[in-house]
Amino acid sequence: MRAGQLVRAWAAPVVLVVLQFTVRNRLGANRIAPDFLLLALLVYTTRARPGAGAAAGFLVGVLRDALTPASFGAGALAHTLVGYLSSRAKTVFFAENLLVNGGLFFTATWVRNLIVALASGKLVGPQLVWELLIWSPLEALTTAVAGVLILALFRQWLSIRLGAR
Amino acid sequence: MPLGADRYATRGDTFVLLGCVALSLVAMSLPTRVRDPLASGLRRTVLWPLLQLQTQSEQLRTTRARYSRMTVERDSFAIAAAVLGELRAENARLRGLLGLGPRLGIGFVPAEVLHQATATDALTLVISAGSRQGVKVLAPVVAPEGLLGYVSRVEATTSVVATWVNPEFRASGMAADGSVYGIVGPHATSRPGVWLLELRGVPYRQDVTFGTVILTSGLGGVLPRGVPVGTVIAVARESGWERTYLVRPAVAPGSASHVMVLLENHPVDLRSAFAPDSGNPP
Repeated sequence: MRAGQLVRAWAAPVVLVVLQFTVRNRLGANRIAPDFLLLALLVYTTRARPGAGAAAGFLVGVLRDALTPASFGAGALAHTLVGYLSSRAKTVFFAENLLVNGGLFFTATWVRNLIVALASGKLVGPQLVWELLIWSPLEALTTAVAGVLILALFRQWLSIRLGAR
Repeated sequence: MPLGADRYATRGDTFVLLGCVALSLVAMSLPTRVRDPLASGLRRTVLWPLLQLQTQSEQLRTTRARYSRMTVERDSFAIAAAVLGELRAENARLRGLLGLGPRLGIGFVPAEVLHQATATDALTLVISAGSRQGVKVLAPVVAPEGLLGYVSRVEATTSVVATWVNPEFRASGMAADGSVYGIVGPHATSRPGVWLLELRGVPYRQDVTFGTVILTSGLGGVLPRGVPVGTVIAVARESGWERTYLVRPAVAPGSASHVMVLLENHPVDLRSAFAPDSGNPP
Protein backbone atom coordinates (compact mmCIF):
# COMPACT_ATOMS: atom_id res chain seq x y z
CA MET A 1 0.00 0.00 0.00
CA ARG A 2 1.41 3.36 -1.00
CA ALA A 3 1.79 6.19 1.49
CA GLY A 4 -0.90 8.27 -0.21
CA GLN A 5 -3.38 5.43 -0.02
CA LEU A 6 -2.53 4.84 3.61
CA VAL A 7 -3.16 8.48 4.46
CA ARG A 8 -6.48 8.44 2.64
CA ALA A 9 -7.56 5.24 4.37
CA TRP A 10 -6.83 6.58 7.86
CA ALA A 11 -7.81 10.23 7.36
CA ALA A 12 -11.50 9.80 8.24
CA PRO A 13 -10.97 7.63 11.36
CA VAL A 14 -8.28 9.97 12.69
CA VAL A 15 -10.47 13.02 12.08
CA LEU A 16 -13.34 11.29 13.87
CA VAL A 17 -11.20 10.42 16.90
CA VAL A 18 -10.07 14.05 17.15
CA LEU A 19 -13.68 15.22 16.83
CA GLN A 20 -14.67 12.89 19.68
CA PHE A 21 -12.29 14.54 22.13
CA THR A 22 -12.58 18.14 20.94
CA VAL A 23 -15.92 18.91 19.30
CA ARG A 24 -18.31 16.45 20.90
CA ASN A 25 -18.37 18.18 24.28
CA ARG A 26 -19.44 21.41 22.57
CA LEU A 27 -22.46 19.91 20.86
CA GLY A 28 -24.71 20.18 23.88
CA ALA A 29 -26.47 17.24 25.49
CA ASN A 30 -23.86 14.60 26.21
CA ARG A 31 -26.27 11.66 26.06
CA ILE A 32 -27.48 12.36 22.53
CA ALA A 33 -24.42 13.91 20.89
CA PRO A 34 -22.97 11.79 18.05
CA ASP A 35 -20.42 9.16 19.04
CA PHE A 36 -17.52 9.95 16.72
CA LEU A 37 -15.33 7.21 18.23
CA LEU A 38 -17.86 4.54 17.29
CA LEU A 39 -18.12 6.10 13.84
CA ALA A 40 -14.33 5.85 13.45
CA LEU A 41 -14.56 2.17 14.35
CA LEU A 42 -17.41 1.57 11.90
CA VAL A 43 -15.68 3.43 9.07
CA TYR A 44 -12.78 1.04 9.57
CA THR A 45 -14.70 -2.19 10.17
CA THR A 46 -17.01 -1.80 7.21
CA ARG A 47 -13.92 -1.90 5.02
CA ALA A 48 -11.97 -4.55 6.88
CA ARG A 49 -12.16 -8.29 7.42
CA PRO A 50 -14.50 -9.48 10.21
CA GLY A 51 -11.59 -10.66 12.35
CA ALA A 52 -9.84 -7.31 12.06
CA GLY A 53 -13.16 -5.61 12.80
CA ALA A 54 -13.60 -7.64 15.99
CA ALA A 55 -10.03 -6.93 17.12
CA ALA A 56 -10.39 -3.21 16.40
CA GLY A 57 -13.71 -3.20 18.25
CA PHE A 58 -12.13 -4.90 21.24
CA LEU A 59 -9.31 -2.33 21.39
CA VAL A 60 -11.69 0.62 21.11
CA GLY A 61 -13.95 -0.96 23.72
CA VAL A 62 -11.15 -1.53 26.22
CA LEU A 63 -9.92 2.04 25.83
CA ARG A 64 -13.43 3.34 26.27
CA ASP A 65 -13.91 1.16 29.34
CA ALA A 66 -10.84 2.77 30.86
CA LEU A 67 -12.72 6.08 30.68
CA THR A 68 -15.93 4.68 32.19
CA PRO A 69 -14.73 2.12 34.73
CA ALA A 70 -18.28 1.52 35.98
CA SER A 71 -18.89 -0.78 33.03
CA PHE A 72 -15.39 -2.19 32.54
CA GLY A 73 -15.43 -5.06 30.03
CA ALA A 74 -18.98 -4.39 28.85
CA GLY A 75 -17.76 -1.80 26.35
CA ALA A 76 -15.11 -4.19 25.05
CA LEU A 77 -17.70 -6.91 24.53
CA ALA A 78 -20.14 -4.53 22.86
CA HIS A 79 -17.59 -2.97 20.52
CA THR A 80 -16.15 -6.39 19.63
CA LEU A 81 -19.55 -7.69 18.56
CA VAL A 82 -20.46 -4.47 16.77
CA GLY A 83 -17.09 -4.41 14.98
CA TYR A 84 -17.46 -8.00 13.83
CA LEU A 85 -21.11 -7.74 12.83
CA SER A 86 -20.67 -4.45 10.97
CA SER A 87 -17.86 -6.02 8.98
CA ARG A 88 -20.05 -9.01 8.17
CA ALA A 89 -22.95 -6.73 7.31
CA LYS A 90 -21.03 -5.29 4.41
CA THR A 91 -21.10 -8.67 2.72
CA VAL A 92 -24.89 -8.48 2.74
CA PHE A 93 -25.61 -4.82 2.02
CA PHE A 94 -24.60 -2.54 -0.80
CA ALA A 95 -21.52 -0.94 0.67
CA GLU A 96 -21.40 2.46 -0.99
CA ASN A 97 -25.01 3.53 -0.46
CA LEU A 98 -25.17 6.46 1.97
CA LEU A 99 -28.60 5.61 3.35
CA VAL A 100 -27.63 2.01 3.98
CA ASN A 101 -24.52 3.24 5.77
CA GLY A 102 -26.67 5.61 7.80
CA GLY A 103 -28.92 2.71 8.80
CA LEU A 104 -25.88 0.69 9.72
CA PHE A 105 -24.53 3.49 11.92
CA PHE A 106 -27.91 3.85 13.62
CA THR A 107 -28.28 0.14 14.29
CA ALA A 108 -24.68 -0.28 15.44
CA THR A 109 -24.98 2.58 17.95
CA TRP A 110 -28.22 1.26 19.38
CA VAL A 111 -26.97 -2.33 19.57
CA ARG A 112 -23.72 -1.14 21.22
CA ASN A 113 -25.72 0.72 23.88
CA LEU A 114 -28.01 -2.28 24.35
CA ILE A 115 -25.09 -4.62 24.99
CA VAL A 116 -23.34 -2.17 27.32
CA ALA A 117 -26.53 -1.59 29.30
CA LEU A 118 -27.28 -5.30 29.64
CA ALA A 119 -23.74 -6.54 30.17
CA SER A 120 -22.82 -3.91 32.74
CA GLY A 121 -25.94 -4.68 34.78
CA LYS A 122 -25.94 -1.12 36.10
CA LEU A 123 -29.19 -0.07 34.47
CA VAL A 124 -32.34 -1.81 35.60
CA GLY A 125 -36.09 -1.51 35.20
CA PRO A 126 -37.42 1.78 33.92
CA GLN A 127 -33.89 3.20 33.65
CA LEU A 128 -33.04 0.49 31.13
CA VAL A 129 -36.25 1.04 29.18
CA TRP A 130 -35.67 4.79 29.12
CA GLU A 131 -32.09 4.29 27.99
CA LEU A 132 -32.97 1.90 25.17
CA LEU A 133 -36.12 3.59 23.90
CA ILE A 134 -35.25 7.26 24.26
CA TRP A 135 -31.58 8.11 24.80
CA SER A 136 -30.04 5.40 22.64
CA PRO A 137 -32.24 6.02 19.58
CA LEU A 138 -31.54 9.75 19.83
CA GLU A 139 -27.80 9.17 20.09
CA ALA A 140 -28.00 6.64 17.26
CA LEU A 141 -29.84 9.16 15.11
CA THR A 142 -27.29 11.94 15.61
CA THR A 143 -24.46 9.45 15.10
CA ALA A 144 -26.02 8.22 11.86
CA VAL A 145 -26.46 11.78 10.56
CA ALA A 146 -22.86 12.65 11.46
CA GLY A 147 -21.67 9.42 9.84
CA VAL A 148 -23.50 10.12 6.61
CA LEU A 149 -22.00 13.63 6.51
CA ILE A 150 -18.50 12.23 7.11
CA LEU A 151 -18.97 9.61 4.40
CA ALA A 152 -20.22 12.23 1.98
CA LEU A 153 -17.21 14.39 2.82
CA PHE A 154 -14.67 11.58 2.46
CA ARG A 155 -16.55 9.67 -0.21
CA GLN A 156 -13.78 9.83 -2.78
CA TRP A 157 -11.19 8.54 -0.36
CA LEU A 158 -13.26 5.89 1.40
CA SER A 159 -14.68 4.27 -1.73
CA ILE A 160 -11.23 3.43 -3.00
CA ARG A 161 -10.62 -0.31 -2.93
CA LEU A 162 -7.33 -0.23 -1.12
CA GLY A 163 -5.42 -3.44 -1.16
CA ALA A 164 -7.36 -4.86 -4.11
CA ARG A 165 -5.23 -6.78 -6.54
CA MET B 1 -4.94 -2.74 7.30
CA PRO B 2 -6.48 -5.30 4.96
CA LEU B 3 -8.93 -2.91 3.37
CA GLY B 4 -10.74 -4.17 0.33
CA ALA B 5 -9.79 -7.76 0.99
CA ASP B 6 -12.27 -10.60 1.05
CA ARG B 7 -14.75 -9.76 3.79
CA TYR B 8 -16.35 -13.16 4.16
CA ALA B 9 -15.52 -14.53 7.57
CA THR B 10 -12.99 -17.33 7.65
CA ARG B 11 -12.20 -19.66 10.50
CA GLY B 12 -9.42 -17.28 11.53
CA ASP B 13 -11.90 -14.42 11.80
CA THR B 14 -14.13 -16.54 13.99
CA PHE B 15 -11.19 -17.41 16.25
CA VAL B 16 -10.32 -13.71 16.60
CA LEU B 17 -13.95 -12.94 17.47
CA LEU B 18 -14.13 -15.68 20.07
CA GLY B 19 -10.79 -14.60 21.53
CA CYS B 20 -11.92 -10.99 21.85
CA VAL B 21 -15.26 -12.01 23.37
CA ALA B 22 -13.44 -14.24 25.85
CA LEU B 23 -11.07 -11.41 26.80
CA SER B 24 -14.05 -9.07 27.23
CA LEU B 25 -15.74 -11.53 29.56
CA VAL B 26 -12.50 -11.86 31.53
CA ALA B 27 -12.31 -8.06 31.77
CA MET B 28 -15.89 -7.93 33.08
CA SER B 29 -15.13 -10.44 35.78
CA LEU B 30 -11.90 -8.80 36.96
CA PRO B 31 -11.92 -7.77 40.62
CA THR B 32 -11.66 -4.07 41.35
CA ARG B 33 -8.09 -4.36 42.62
CA VAL B 34 -7.00 -5.62 39.17
CA ARG B 35 -9.41 -3.67 37.02
CA ASP B 36 -8.69 -0.20 38.41
CA PRO B 37 -4.90 -0.27 37.93
CA LEU B 38 -5.44 -1.60 34.41
CA ALA B 39 -7.84 1.20 33.54
CA SER B 40 -5.57 3.70 35.24
CA GLY B 41 -2.59 2.47 33.20
CA LEU B 42 -4.50 2.94 29.97
CA ARG B 43 -5.54 6.45 30.97
CA ARG B 44 -1.94 7.35 31.82
CA THR B 45 -0.47 5.97 28.57
CA VAL B 46 -2.54 5.36 25.45
CA LEU B 47 -5.39 7.67 26.39
CA TRP B 48 -3.27 10.42 27.92
CA PRO B 49 -2.92 12.49 24.69
CA LEU B 50 -6.62 12.18 23.98
CA LEU B 51 -7.58 13.19 27.53
CA GLN B 52 -5.24 16.16 27.27
CA LEU B 53 -6.94 17.06 24.00
CA GLN B 54 -10.33 16.89 25.67
CA THR B 55 -9.09 18.89 28.65
CA GLN B 56 -7.70 21.60 26.37
CA SER B 57 -10.96 21.68 24.46
CA GLU B 58 -12.96 22.05 27.68
CA GLN B 59 -10.64 24.80 28.89
CA LEU B 60 -10.92 26.59 25.57
CA ARG B 61 -14.69 26.48 25.84
CA THR B 62 -14.48 27.79 29.38
CA THR B 63 -12.07 30.50 28.32
CA ARG B 64 -14.47 31.70 25.67
CA ALA B 65 -17.31 31.74 28.16
CA ARG B 66 -15.13 33.65 30.61
CA TYR B 67 -14.22 36.13 27.88
CA SER B 68 -17.90 36.77 27.24
CA ARG B 69 -18.52 37.15 30.96
CA MET B 70 -15.59 39.51 31.35
CA THR B 71 -16.91 41.61 28.48
CA VAL B 72 -20.21 41.85 30.30
CA GLU B 73 -18.41 42.65 33.54
CA ARG B 74 -16.31 45.32 31.84
CA ASP B 75 -19.44 46.95 30.44
CA SER B 76 -21.02 46.75 33.87
CA PHE B 77 -17.99 48.40 35.42
CA ALA B 78 -18.05 51.13 32.81
CA ILE B 79 -21.62 51.91 33.75
CA ALA B 80 -20.87 51.65 37.46
CA ALA B 81 -17.85 53.93 37.09
CA ALA B 82 -20.18 56.70 36.09
CA VAL B 83 -21.36 56.75 39.70
CA LEU B 84 -18.24 56.16 41.81
CA GLY B 85 -20.18 55.54 45.01
CA GLU B 86 -21.83 52.50 43.52
CA LEU B 87 -18.59 51.00 42.27
CA ARG B 88 -17.78 49.22 45.52
CA ALA B 89 -21.19 47.57 45.73
CA GLU B 90 -20.99 46.52 42.09
CA ASN B 91 -17.53 45.12 42.65
CA ALA B 92 -18.76 43.08 45.62
CA ARG B 93 -21.67 41.73 43.60
CA LEU B 94 -19.39 40.67 40.74
CA ARG B 95 -17.02 38.99 43.17
CA GLY B 96 -19.97 37.16 44.60
CA LEU B 97 -20.86 35.91 41.16
CA LEU B 98 -17.41 34.52 40.59
CA GLY B 99 -18.52 31.30 42.15
CA LEU B 100 -18.57 29.04 45.04
CA GLY B 101 -14.81 28.77 45.54
CA PRO B 102 -14.11 31.80 47.75
CA ARG B 103 -17.11 30.94 49.95
CA LEU B 104 -15.91 27.46 50.69
CA GLY B 105 -13.13 28.74 52.90
CA ILE B 106 -11.13 25.53 52.43
CA GLY B 107 -8.73 24.35 49.75
CA PHE B 108 -10.20 23.16 46.49
CA VAL B 109 -9.18 22.37 42.93
CA PRO B 110 -11.41 23.28 39.98
CA ALA B 111 -11.73 20.64 37.29
CA GLU B 112 -13.51 20.00 34.02
CA VAL B 113 -15.69 16.91 33.64
CA LEU B 114 -14.58 14.81 30.66
CA HIS B 115 -17.86 13.15 29.67
CA GLN B 116 -17.88 9.94 27.63
CA ALA B 117 -20.49 8.66 25.20
CA THR B 118 -21.71 5.63 27.09
CA ALA B 119 -24.88 4.76 28.91
CA THR B 120 -23.02 4.40 32.21
CA ASP B 121 -21.21 7.73 31.92
CA ALA B 122 -23.07 9.25 34.87
CA LEU B 123 -21.90 6.54 37.29
CA THR B 124 -18.22 7.35 37.12
CA LEU B 125 -16.83 10.55 35.67
CA VAL B 126 -13.28 11.37 34.62
CA ILE B 127 -12.21 14.87 35.66
CA SER B 128 -9.21 16.93 34.60
CA ALA B 129 -7.42 17.19 37.94
CA GLY B 130 -5.18 14.64 39.58
CA SER B 131 -2.46 14.10 42.12
CA ARG B 132 -0.35 16.91 40.64
CA GLN B 133 -3.09 19.32 41.68
CA GLY B 134 -3.31 17.75 45.12
CA VAL B 135 -6.35 15.55 44.58
CA LYS B 136 -6.56 12.51 46.85
CA VAL B 137 -8.73 9.41 46.98
CA LEU B 138 -12.07 9.97 48.77
CA ALA B 139 -11.84 13.73 48.27
CA PRO B 140 -15.39 15.17 48.04
CA VAL B 141 -16.41 16.53 44.65
CA VAL B 142 -18.97 19.32 44.58
CA ALA B 143 -20.71 21.50 42.02
CA PRO B 144 -22.12 24.95 42.81
CA GLU B 145 -25.49 23.29 43.47
CA GLY B 146 -24.22 20.60 45.84
CA LEU B 147 -22.63 17.19 46.15
CA LEU B 148 -21.63 15.25 43.04
CA GLY B 149 -19.64 12.37 44.59
CA TYR B 150 -16.16 11.54 45.75
CA VAL B 151 -12.84 10.70 44.10
CA SER B 152 -12.43 6.96 43.72
CA ARG B 153 -9.10 6.90 41.89
CA VAL B 154 -6.36 9.43 41.25
CA GLU B 155 -3.79 9.68 38.47
CA ALA B 156 -1.25 12.40 37.76
CA THR B 157 -3.51 14.70 35.76
CA THR B 158 -6.92 13.04 35.92
CA SER B 159 -9.15 11.42 38.51
CA VAL B 160 -12.18 9.16 38.53
CA VAL B 161 -15.22 10.36 40.45
CA ALA B 162 -17.79 7.92 41.79
CA THR B 163 -20.98 9.96 41.57
CA TRP B 164 -24.05 9.55 43.75
CA VAL B 165 -25.65 7.60 40.87
CA ASN B 166 -23.16 4.79 41.49
CA PRO B 167 -24.88 1.85 43.26
CA GLU B 168 -22.06 1.76 45.84
CA PHE B 169 -22.49 5.42 46.81
CA ARG B 170 -23.56 6.11 50.41
CA ALA B 171 -23.48 9.30 52.47
CA SER B 172 -24.68 10.27 55.88
CA GLY B 173 -27.37 12.89 55.39
CA MET B 174 -29.45 15.17 57.57
CA ALA B 175 -32.26 17.65 57.26
CA ALA B 176 -31.08 21.22 56.88
CA ASP B 177 -32.12 22.04 60.46
CA GLY B 178 -30.32 18.96 61.81
CA SER B 179 -33.53 17.39 63.16
CA VAL B 180 -33.38 14.17 61.14
CA TYR B 181 -30.49 11.95 60.13
CA GLY B 182 -30.34 9.07 57.64
CA ILE B 183 -28.29 7.33 55.01
CA VAL B 184 -28.43 8.75 51.49
CA GLY B 185 -28.02 6.38 48.55
CA PRO B 186 -29.17 6.08 44.92
CA HIS B 187 -32.78 5.07 44.36
CA ALA B 188 -32.80 1.98 42.16
CA THR B 189 -36.24 2.08 40.63
CA SER B 190 -37.10 5.66 39.94
CA ARG B 191 -39.32 6.89 37.16
CA PRO B 192 -37.94 6.40 33.63
CA GLY B 193 -35.07 8.74 32.86
CA VAL B 194 -34.93 10.24 36.34
CA TRP B 195 -32.05 9.48 38.67
CA LEU B 196 -33.17 9.94 42.25
CA LEU B 197 -31.70 9.52 45.70
CA GLU B 198 -33.32 8.12 48.79
CA LEU B 199 -32.90 8.93 52.47
CA ARG B 200 -33.03 5.68 54.41
CA GLY B 201 -33.23 4.77 58.05
CA VAL B 202 -35.36 7.70 59.20
CA PRO B 203 -37.20 6.66 62.40
CA TYR B 204 -40.93 6.21 61.83
CA ARG B 205 -41.85 8.75 64.50
CA GLN B 206 -39.80 11.48 62.79
CA ASP B 207 -41.68 13.11 59.95
CA VAL B 208 -39.80 14.88 57.16
CA THR B 209 -41.90 17.40 55.26
CA PHE B 210 -41.66 17.49 51.49
CA GLY B 211 -39.34 20.23 50.31
CA THR B 212 -36.88 19.70 53.15
CA VAL B 213 -33.32 20.18 51.95
CA ILE B 214 -31.01 17.28 52.77
CA LEU B 215 -27.37 18.07 53.53
CA THR B 216 -24.37 15.91 54.28
CA SER B 217 -24.05 15.43 58.03
CA GLY B 218 -20.28 15.13 58.16
CA LEU B 219 -20.52 11.86 60.08
CA GLY B 220 -17.97 9.31 58.90
CA GLY B 221 -15.28 11.85 58.19
CA VAL B 222 -15.25 11.54 54.39
CA LEU B 223 -17.70 14.25 53.37
CA PRO B 224 -17.79 17.65 55.07
CA ARG B 225 -20.93 18.79 56.85
CA GLY B 226 -23.45 21.00 55.11
CA VAL B 227 -23.12 20.16 51.41
CA PRO B 228 -26.56 20.02 49.74
CA VAL B 229 -27.51 16.56 48.52
CA GLY B 230 -31.09 17.15 47.39
CA THR B 231 -34.68 17.90 48.37
CA VAL B 232 -37.23 15.49 49.82
CA ILE B 233 -40.10 15.01 47.38
CA ALA B 234 -42.00 11.90 48.51
CA VAL B 235 -42.12 8.86 50.76
CA ALA B 236 -40.58 5.91 48.97
CA ARG B 237 -41.62 3.18 51.40
CA GLU B 238 -42.28 2.39 55.03
CA SER B 239 -41.10 -0.77 56.69
CA GLY B 240 -41.01 -1.62 60.37
CA TRP B 241 -39.59 1.18 62.43
CA GLU B 242 -38.12 3.17 59.57
CA ARG B 243 -39.28 5.26 56.68
CA THR B 244 -37.45 5.90 53.38
CA TYR B 245 -37.85 9.19 51.54
CA LEU B 246 -37.28 10.01 47.88
CA VAL B 247 -34.85 12.86 47.36
CA ARG B 248 -34.52 14.96 44.23
CA PRO B 249 -30.74 15.39 43.76
CA ALA B 250 -29.12 18.80 43.82
CA VAL B 251 -26.67 17.94 41.04
CA ALA B 252 -27.24 16.03 37.79
CA PRO B 253 -23.99 14.17 37.00
CA GLY B 254 -24.83 13.85 33.32
CA SER B 255 -24.88 17.59 32.81
CA ALA B 256 -22.15 18.65 35.22
CA SER B 257 -19.37 20.33 33.29
CA HIS B 258 -17.21 21.97 35.97
CA VAL B 259 -16.67 20.76 39.52
CA MET B 260 -14.55 21.47 42.57
CA VAL B 261 -12.54 18.84 44.39
CA LEU B 262 -12.22 19.67 48.08
CA LEU B 263 -8.66 19.16 49.25
CA GLU B 264 -9.24 19.15 52.99
CA ASN B 265 -11.75 16.85 54.59
CA HIS B 266 -11.23 17.89 58.19
CA PRO B 267 -14.43 18.65 60.08
CA VAL B 268 -15.88 21.78 58.57
CA ASP B 269 -19.41 23.11 58.09
CA LEU B 270 -20.12 24.33 54.57
CA ARG B 271 -23.77 25.26 55.06
CA SER B 272 -23.10 28.97 54.62
CA ALA B 273 -21.17 28.39 51.38
CA PHE B 274 -24.14 26.69 49.76
CA ALA B 275 -26.85 28.91 51.24
CA PRO B 276 -29.28 30.05 48.50
CA ASP B 277 -28.48 33.74 48.93
CA SER B 278 -24.75 33.38 49.56
CA GLY B 279 -23.93 34.03 45.91
CA ASN B 280 -25.79 37.32 45.83
CA PRO B 281 -24.39 39.69 48.39
CA PRO B 282 -26.31 42.92 48.80
